[in-house]
Amino acid sequence: MGYLQGFAVTFKKLTEDRVTTEYPEQKRPKADRLHGRHVLNRYEDGMEKCIGCELCAGVCPANCIYVRGKDNPDGDPVSPGERYGFIYEINYLRCIHCDMCVEACPTEAITESKLFEFSFTNRADAIYTKNELLVDDDGMPQHLPWEDWRPGEDEMTSGWMRATASSGNAAYEGKVAWSGELGYGVRAPEIGQSQDAPPADTSDSGAH
Amino acid sequence: MTDTQPETEASVTIVVDGQEVAARPGELLIDACERAGTYIPRFCYHERMKPVGMCRMCLVEVDTGRGMGLQPSCMIPVAEGMTVDTQSEITKKAQDGILEFLLINHPLDCPVCDKGGECPLQDQTMAYGPGESRFVEEKRHYEKPIPISDTVFLDRERCILCDRCTRFAKEVAGDPLIHFQGRGNQTEVNTFPDEPFSSYFSGNTVQICPVGALTAKPYRFKARPWDLEETESTSVADAVGSRITVQSSRNQVLRYMGVDSDPVNWGWLSDKERFSFEAFNSDERITEPMARSGGDLEPVSWGAAIAAVGDALKNTDPSRLGIIGGARLTNESQFAFTKLAKGVLGTDNVDAQLGDGLPAELVLGLPRATIDQACAPGGTIILMGPDPKETLGALFLRLKHAAVEDGATIIEVTPHRTGLGQYAAHHLHPLPGETAALAAALVAETPALDTAGVSADAITAARAAIAGDGPVTVILGRASVAESAAVIADAALSLTSIPGVRFLSALSRSNVHGALDMGMSPGLLPGRSTLASGTANWPNTPSTAGMSTAQMLQAAADGSLDTILLLGADPISDFPDTDLAERALANATVIAVDLFETASTDHADAILPAAAPQEADGSFTNLEGRVTKISRKVTPPGTARPDWIIAAELAMAAGGDLGIESLDDVWAQIAAVSPAHAGIDTASLDANQRDGVVVEGTLDLPAASGVSPAVADAYAYRLVVSRRMYDAGTILANSPSSAHLASGTALHLHPVDFDALGLDRGAEVTVSSATGSVSLPVEPSGDVPRGVAAVPANQGDIVVGTLIAVGDVATNVRVERGDS
Ligand code: SF4
Ligand code: SF4
Ligand code: SF4
Ligand code: FES
Repeated sequence: MGYLQGFAVTFKKLTEDRVTTEYPEQKRPKADRLHGRHVLNRYEDGMEKCIGCELCAGVCPANCIYVRGKDNPDGDPVSPGERYGFIYEINYLRCIHCDMCVEACPTEAITESKLFEFSFTNRADAIYTKNELLVDDDGMPQHLPWEDWRPGEDEMTSGWMRATASSGNAAYEGKVAWSGELGYGVRAPEIGQSQDAPPADTSDSGAH
Repeated sequence: MTDTQPETEASVTIVVDGQEVAARPGELLIDACERAGTYIPRFCYHERMKPVGMCRMCLVEVDTGRGMGLQPSCMIPVAEGMTVDTQSEITKKAQDGILEFLLINHPLDCPVCDKGGECPLQDQTMAYGPGESRFVEEKRHYEKPIPISDTVFLDRERCILCDRCTRFAKEVAGDPLIHFQGRGNQTEVNTFPDEPFSSYFSGNTVQICPVGALTAKPYRFKARPWDLEETESTSVADAVGSRITVQSSRNQVLRYMGVDSDPVNWGWLSDKERFSFEAFNSDERITEPMARSGGDLEPVSWGAAIAAVGDALKNTDPSRLGIIGGARLTNESQFAFTKLAKGVLGTDNVDAQLGDGLPAELVLGLPRATIDQACAPGGTIILMGPDPKETLGALFLRLKHAAVEDGATIIEVTPHRTGLGQYAAHHLHPLPGETAALAAALVAETPALDTAGVSADAITAARAAIAGDGPVTVILGRASVAESAAVIADAALSLTSIPGVRFLSALSRSNVHGALDMGMSPGLLPGRSTLASGTANWPNTPSTAGMSTAQMLQAAADGSLDTILLLGADPISDFPDTDLAERALANATVIAVDLFETASTDHADAILPAAAPQEADGSFTNLEGRVTKISRKVTPPGTARPDWIIAAELAMAAGGDLGIESLDDVWAQIAAVSPAHAGIDTASLDANQRDGVVVEGTLDLPAASGVSPAVADAYAYRLVVSRRMYDAGTILANSPSSAHLASGTALHLHPVDFDALGLDRGAEVTVSSATGSVSLPVEPSGDVPRGVAAVPANQGDIVVGTLIAVGDVATNVRVERGDS
């Protein structure tokens, strides 16, 4: 008679709510801190934030970032200041999405979206260059043909954590804070994990 | 400061952090502590310059006799019983405070700063500095980097006013073109208005600046320190053999840095040495073998190229075959080509010098000096050669130091004043062609008479300096290619009668001294030996001496030499008689082994691409005879390969065998034939990386030739054609940041001679000699004596080589108005 018990379980479950979804037609909300493919951000005036400092490349534990800087062209600067990211490449066959690069970046040029649904048929396609990584004129990630973007998904960005001064704002010195940003400007970090109250004055955090 | 005190001298005992330490008398406290293993942080102090106590970073507590007190350790010499505390709270607070002050105005733009990652200010702030600043005020602002010379950028915001660059420019290089300006908070380093920091040594300031205030154009934003790999090597840009580190990223060399080799360059480099890597990275490099088919050079495979060249070499009668050049090669490659020529092909027509050098027997026969011996305190230096500032930059800095700091007496025996002139005690400027007569007068016993245009008084004064107590060294080379080598050889032979005199060769062309030691000269075999005395037991070694470059070119022009193998040589640009070189190469079958296409390779029937020094292991012999290692850092472009491999393959193709498959094979063979090189091999070169090994051994001196110049009429000038640091040479022409620095050709006359022409500065004049005539702009110059017409060599615009007939003792020219 034991097998009847088995059927009983089956029929009982048929009436319960399903936990699986019809992925990929249907997607579940992504976690707050999910790390997806990177974007290279711009300022509101269209200037690139990346200054080609190679700090992200230096910190990357998977050694998958290749950056080279260059003098900004006279009269037609790519980024504010002297130097811009002339070559910027991330190899997604190696990236472990640890976000160390995001944390190292002094200008919040490199951040991660939550997009993980992308695949390639050859190795060269797995190396994203500035052409793919740079955000578009609205500050939103480019939707590349082999990536599965759904409406609204590009609003979402990964959170990142920084133990030092966030956004260069000395008020955050030593505070563990979360920040999430995509597109223009810099969002004030959110104090997420520690007991600290947010610092009183964060008004100039967008003053880049 | 250099420590010239011998180790054996009595030492003083000081107490550093409770430990007794032996220090050298007179040594600075900061050095004594460092040798004892206690590093004191510093910004302004540099061990090769005088201390100034500018930055106060090196404050430590010292017992002053009235209790402990803070003292800058770079300013106080050690004294017996001195007690020092480098770890006390007060010391730490002082260092912490200094860093906080230094950072008040520092822009902290480390992410875009080339120094970030290797910055003493970053490092010392991490190690000794405050975690936070209390200064919230706006920092001072200056225009971001301003070019202060063709290669150096200055970012005044980052400057911490340590005085290193300005001291270097003034004290070390003797080009005080940058200086502190303004007062207090507004103090800045800058150049004087309208006067760029155009020093031949400007790159050193970039290396010693403890922050990113000075950056160099060739390296600017190319990489960050953490993606550089490095290896120590030797510079081949000139014959000094300065030690360098070769730094690369992603298989591309990005910079050379000077390494402090005590017997050689003291960490300094000339800009030509420092930036020469640019040429090796150039897109103009030849990357595959080429052969001429139907008028054009077409790429071919190595196999086909080697077979064709091997055939050409084999099928040429050895007496109608010549090899020109080889100074660019490593010692090992030079040996391989010598063996190919003299051992396999059976020709002795091999000459690494392009008619602008000295007889090999002379250079190898004279008692040699090291740079240290030449620069010995209280010595006398006779400069009878090219301007070291122009041709041997790092040697110039050592000679200048000897004259200014160590009391050496410099006697200039040059056709006109040189860059060393302002540090020289005696200025003797013999008329070109009459240098030997002056040299004879300098060593004669009889009362001095006016000789070669030099007054008897000047000769008497110089004689007194030569007769002084100190050692006498002659810096010997060709000041002018318009004066025959025989004149300088005779002069040198006269000077050998000075008791204890030694000679430091000033041949400047890269590894030319290695070439002579490896027998790349007619009549020589490897190991400073001659065809007669040599022990090289090769099957086809010829018994009689072959032709020099001049003779080979003449023979080719006359049709009695069929095939010329050029080893990194460009006779059309570098041989004094341009016309002869052109005719010779046009007439012969030319095979070139080179890095670049040159004026001479335009005549080539086949070109084999060779690896640059940074692309192949090997060794270098500098002007002292010091053998140091050249290290491979990157791979050669395309299929270019090391010269010794090319030689070995050509030998095979020509039906012989060099028996060389590795550098160890080369050294085993060198050891077998050259007692002078005994004990040198790849392992010993690795072990003595920094200072290398000085090769000893001399040849018998040649006899004097007794030449004298043709008598000229009263209107004639004697021509001087001398090398400048920047010219149209292949390496410089292919270095983007140095290519435009060649000064351009102009005729320089004494102001009185200039006035006699009645022309404006820069007006065209026609200069004509027995062989040709060119028109040039004319300039007055106080450095040039009367009756002398001075022109820089190979500037790439106007060819002055047509004025020179090789073999003439001196070149008489007429200078006339207009370009008629
Ligand atoms: S997320 Fe991590 S692994 Fe990926 S590029 Fe950034 S640092 Fe490298
Ligand atoms: S992304 Fe950020 S860290 Fe990376 S090179 Fe650009 S500015 Fe530097
Ligand atoms: S530019 Fe550099 S070396 Fe010169 S004074 Fe300033 S910090 Fe010192
Ligand atoms: S190192 Fe001593 S004062 Fe600068």
